[in-house]
Amino acid sequence: MIARLADASRSWLHENFTRDNWRLLLFCYVALAPVLLLFGYVRAWPILKSFVLSFYKWELINPVRPFIGWLNYEMLLEDENFHLALKNTAVYSISTVMLSTLLALPLAIFLARKSRFSAIYQTLYFLPVITPMVPMSIAWKWIYDYNHGILNYLLSLVGLPSVAWLTDPDIALWALIIMGVWKMLGYSMILLLVGIRNIPSTYVEAAAIDGASGWRQFRFVTLPLLKPILLYVFVTSTINAFNVFTQVYVMTLGSQSAPGQAVRVIVFDIYQNAFQYFRMGYASAEAVMLTLIVLGFTLIQFRIARDKAGQDG
Amino acid sequence: MTIRKSRSTDIARRSALKSVAATGLAVAGGMSLAPTARAAPTLSIWTGYPELVPYYKAVAADFAKTKPGVEVNVLSSSLREMEQKLSAAIPTGTGPDIFDIGSGISLKFIEAGLLDANPADVDGYLKGGAWNKFTVDWFSLKGKTYGLPIIEGRAAMYWNRAMFKEAGIAGPPTTYGELMAAAKKITKIDATGKMTRSGVSMRLSGQGSGITEKFRFVLEPAGGSLLVQMPSGKWSNGFDNDAGRKALQFYVDVVQKDKVDDPKVPHDAAAFANGQAAMLFREAWVIGEIKKTNPSLDYGVAPIPRWDASGPYKGIVQPWGVYVNGKSKEKATCWDFLKFLTQPANALKITEMTGWGSARNGVDWSPLLKQTPQFEVFVNPPKDVIPFADPIIGPFDEIQSRIADRLPGLFVDPSLNNNPAKVADAIKQLATIADNILKQAGMYGTS
Repeated sequence: MIARLADASRSWLHENFTRDNWRLLLFCYVALAPVLLLFGYVRAWPILKSFVLSFYKWELINPVRPFIGWLNYEMLLEDENFHLALKNTAVYSISTVMLSTLLALPLAIFLARKSRFSAIYQTLYFLPVITPMVPMSIAWKWIYDYNHGILNYLLSLVGLPSVAWLTDPDIALWALIIMGVWKMLGYSMILLLVGIRNIPSTYVEAAAIDGASGWRQFRFVTLPLLKPILLYVFVTSTINAFNVFTQVYVMTLGSQSAPGQAVRVIVFDIYQNAFQYFRMGYASAEAVMLTLIVLGFTLIQFRIARDKAGQDG
Repeated sequence: MTIRKSRSTDIARRSALKSVAATGLAVAGGMSLAPTARAAPTLSIWTGYPELVPYYKAVAADFAKTKPGVEVNVLSSSLREMEQKLSAAIPTGTGPDIFDIGSGISLKFIEAGLLDANPADVDGYLKGGAWNKFTVDWFSLKGKTYGLPIIEGRAAMYWNRAMFKEAGIAGPPTTYGELMAAAKKITKIDATGKMTRSGVSMRLSGQGSGITEKFRFVLEPAGGSLLVQMPSGKWSNGFDNDAGRKALQFYVDVVQKDKVDDPKVPHDAAAFANGQAAMLFREAWVIGEIKKTNPSLDYGVAPIPRWDASGPYKGIVQPWGVYVNGKSKEKATCWDFLKFLTQPANALKITEMTGWGSARNGVDWSPLLKQTPQFEVFVNPPKDVIPFADPIIGPFDEIQSRIADRLPGLFVDPSLNNNPAKVADAIKQLATIADNILKQAGMYGTS
């Protein structure tokens, strides 16, 4: 039996891999090796190392690193800051992803029409995506300023009272969500726009001939065909949203800023544990939890999209 | 003929090789035997206070006159970033020769064996009367000394003379009761209910240990401490008591009951310098900030008030050290530089150039005080001010930061207004946070 299998695999290799094929394969791997090694070193190895570190008590400066098993994870379960960070991150992510996608979709439909100014609008909406986060966070801090911020000035024009966007613990997280939507909107819009433009016009034309209204064309033709792009937008936006950090860091710096606890998110908590308290093992456990949560959300999104596709099919 | 030629060529080649080898050996031998003409060292300094860079450079230029050729490179970043850089660089042997840092980090380096104890001459210099006992103790651990003091953070109360005069108040408050009364008179609210001038600028928002540090400016005069050491050497919270409740109640009253400050209005040094706040608790560097942004501001500096007329004045003192990396290859030159850096003339220079005070004894402050009398409280603190300092234990920064996470929410929590029971409950929760961190570090004890 084993001899027959060996013969079969040998003949398969002989048929499929000639000397030239082997050389080509070898060349490909040799050519890719530097990039793969670099990727492994800067991406895969740190992830693996973080996972290993999460089982140790390591305080960065201290050379003694005792193995403590699952203790870091057990402490996480009782850590109120971690629970709060988890809740805030979930609220931020769900709100930002939902709002930015809901706003991006009509924008994309509108900009998909042939118009003289379409390119200008696309550029304008996409600008926040490529603008560096630190200067933008500082600019938003000014926008949100209670006394001199433009947002409160605009509210005053319509007779509304000023809002303590950053310093009110009940509002600070929503200030971050607004900024998050502003940052993410262009990214989602561009992807959806590409998706809409790639839908063959014959489908829409056929629906129109069958008497479908604009809404029904969108509901039964455009939206189902846009599903893979929507899934991609949801997945990448969710991953981005769960990793929110820079704006939180900038907006809580200084005396005139958001109360840290009101906007505590997971990456900020990881940063504080790792680089302020030097509890690297504990921070690694948090990072592993974040990875698992994001992975879980992504799988759920894939499952929902697949089930929907199955039902539609 | 051919053979002879060949032989002569061989001999010539052999001779040439011998000559080269001999020359090589002679050069190598000469190199090793000749007296060492060592290049003057270049010292690297890292600081978490960018404003100290010109000072380090100025002192280095003077030092180079005594040690020709010695150069100094200074790298600066924000304090937090510097703590992170040093924490990664010192253990891996990639750090600078010299660095300045607070006790929270230096203690960890000492415990990890990354800092050498001061050499005998430096130890003698530190203990020889140039600094008072409080400061020397700060740089001592288990009978050894580490590093030298460079700056000393002392907080005091800045008060705006013009605003006090306008409100008919003769001088700065000496108790927290007087402070609140003065603040109520000075605070301005516009017709829409917006605060346009705060009576006192407290640290009410943001994140980081500074919020708790400022909370201690009220807690300590009220009779509490963030942490207290037990006879066993263990630690426990020192504020789940009447003093802690008074301090939190004071903050709640400032924001909610008496409304003399508001998280929404401008705060800190900028607000005081711009005339948007009448009082502020801060260190000496604010004097430099005022000189830069509003030199005509009419203000005074007084000790932080007592809780009441029978209580003591308390003032935080935070010595800041400068250390030699245990892995530096230029330790001798580094220690020479640090001794030079901390001479009385340079102590005066650091205050003149940066606004930061120095704890050095034997400094003639009169030229500085003649020019800027507001420095008086910082450089010659009144004798009746009892100093208090951060406990030199590893988890202290985390305890301050974790409590700071909670305080801003409590200051504005309406359920705490006129509700002593809720205030007591909040203080108990904060105390539990402190005790739990101590327990995790194996440092908690109540006896």
